[in-house]
Amino acid sequence: MRERLQQVCVVTVHVVGVDGAGVTVMGSVEAGLDGHRDQLAATGGLARRLEDLQLTAGEGPCLDAFREGRPVLIPDLAGESGRWLGFGPEAVGAGAAAVFSLPLQVGAIRLGTFDLHRRTAGPLTDEQLADALAMATLATEALLELAEQDGPPDPGGGREVAAGWLPDVHADVHAASGMVSAQTGSDVRSALLHIRAHAFGSGEPIHEVARRIIDRDLTFPLPDDNGPGHGPTAPDEEGEP
Amino acid sequence: MSNGREPQVIDTFLALTDTLTRDFDALDMLTTLSESCVELLDVSAAGVILADGQGGLSVAAASSERTRLLSVFAVAIDAGPCVDCVRTGLPVISEDLRTPTARQRWPRYVSGADEAGFRATHALPMRLRDDVIGVLTLLHTDHHALTDADTRLGQALADAATIGLLHERAVRHAETVQEQLQGALNSRVIIEQAKGVLAGSTALAPEDAFTVLRSHARGQGIRLTDLARGVVDGTIDLTSVVRPAL
Repeated sequence: MRERLQQVCVVTVHVVGVDGAGVTVMGSVEAGLDGHRDQLAATGGLARRLEDLQLTAGEGPCLDAFREGRPVLIPDLAGESGRWLGFGPEAVGAGAAAVFSLPLQVGAIRLGTFDLHRRTAGPLTDEQLADALAMATLATEALLELAEQDGPPDPGGGREVAAGWLPDVHADVHAASGMVSAQTGSDVRSALLHIRAHAFGSGEPIHEVARRIIDRDLTFPLPDDNGPGHGPTAPDEEGEP
Repeated sequence: MSNGREPQVIDTFLALTDTLTRDFDALDMLTTLSESCVELLDVSAAGVILADGQGGLSVAAASSERTRLLSVFAVAIDAGPCVDCVRTGLPVISEDLRTPTARQRWPRYVSGADEAGFRATHALPMRLRDDVIGVLTLLHTDHHALTDADTRLGQALADAATIGLLHERAVRHAETVQEQLQGALNSRVIIEQAKGVLAGSTALAPEDAFTVLRSHARGQGIRLTDLARGVVDGTIDLTSVVRPAL
């Protein structure tokens, strides 16, 4: 999965027209920003240096993007010297003229940031930003699955899931993730992956799976009750909650 | 309807542009915009669709979370008057979707709207200079002509909401409106997840869970997005949110 993140970074440099890119995973704000943080991919020395600087200074665009849950786009870093007194001058000194940090997130699921930089100042065009956002979605998908590999297996029957599923996930699936999360006591990230695995395992469109969950026609068992290997059950088998 | 509404109109403009308060929340403001349209204009439902930065549209807020309304917006972001409005930057008014012209122009949208019981759609652009950042969508269950006064007021409300977004951008040192829009769209996802968590923990339907979340945020002076995030992360006690509502 790290190779996929590295590929996303390399492709981004070419497609978006930036000089470097990196992916950093972070722990939650509640757990302390410096508690868990790791740059999983980077295209070169400056991308690594910018991450080191933000780690040392405890501030910077990627931390702001992560905390605020939205992109932080700085086309002229030297002109924004007052924003990050520790990070800004050091980053400019290291050769970064523009930095663009995009949060890697799915609603409340915060995974990390996608950090792009340029050695010359200047904004991303609308098309470049659109491409950067699309690449960030691919990185988000890879990170969701990376986290999945560390966690308990989900009931997808080991079936290979095709990349590119996340852009098709809309409102109903997010609401259904929340419901499954509450019903199983798992976090919303695991719930989303459970729903996705069920959809791929059964061949049912993910939105129809979500709709059945919202209508309470489909519930997932508590992991402690049945173990992770069991699929979801219909309410007539286990009764209405 | 037209003369008695001035005080309410003024309050609405203040609410849409009140970005200096600490608890300003873009998503909450866009929900207020949608609700105000139903109160102030002669329409049955309203919603805000935002440009997603990747050439597509995404639903941000609606005057109610009823499934049938959200289902119309789910179609509207792919085809129909809203898409035309974003492309042209001009209002797209359809008084009667059942006319052959409308059916021919937007076959998929018309059947989606029809299924949900809506017969008229007016799409007003949310403009920022040359860009259209979103669409204020007004729906009516009957054949419906928007009066000149209502068209002007609707457009003024859409403009006020755009100014609110822009002003918040300045306050928070955001460089581009895209930062704002991306943040608002992710807030929408958090709210969907929180609706689900509340619905999964109680007997509430997700659409009612939204009302509970919003009134709790109001009552406690918490930003709607922060409350929703706390509900999903498990850092906010659900019983304190749900109990007063039951």
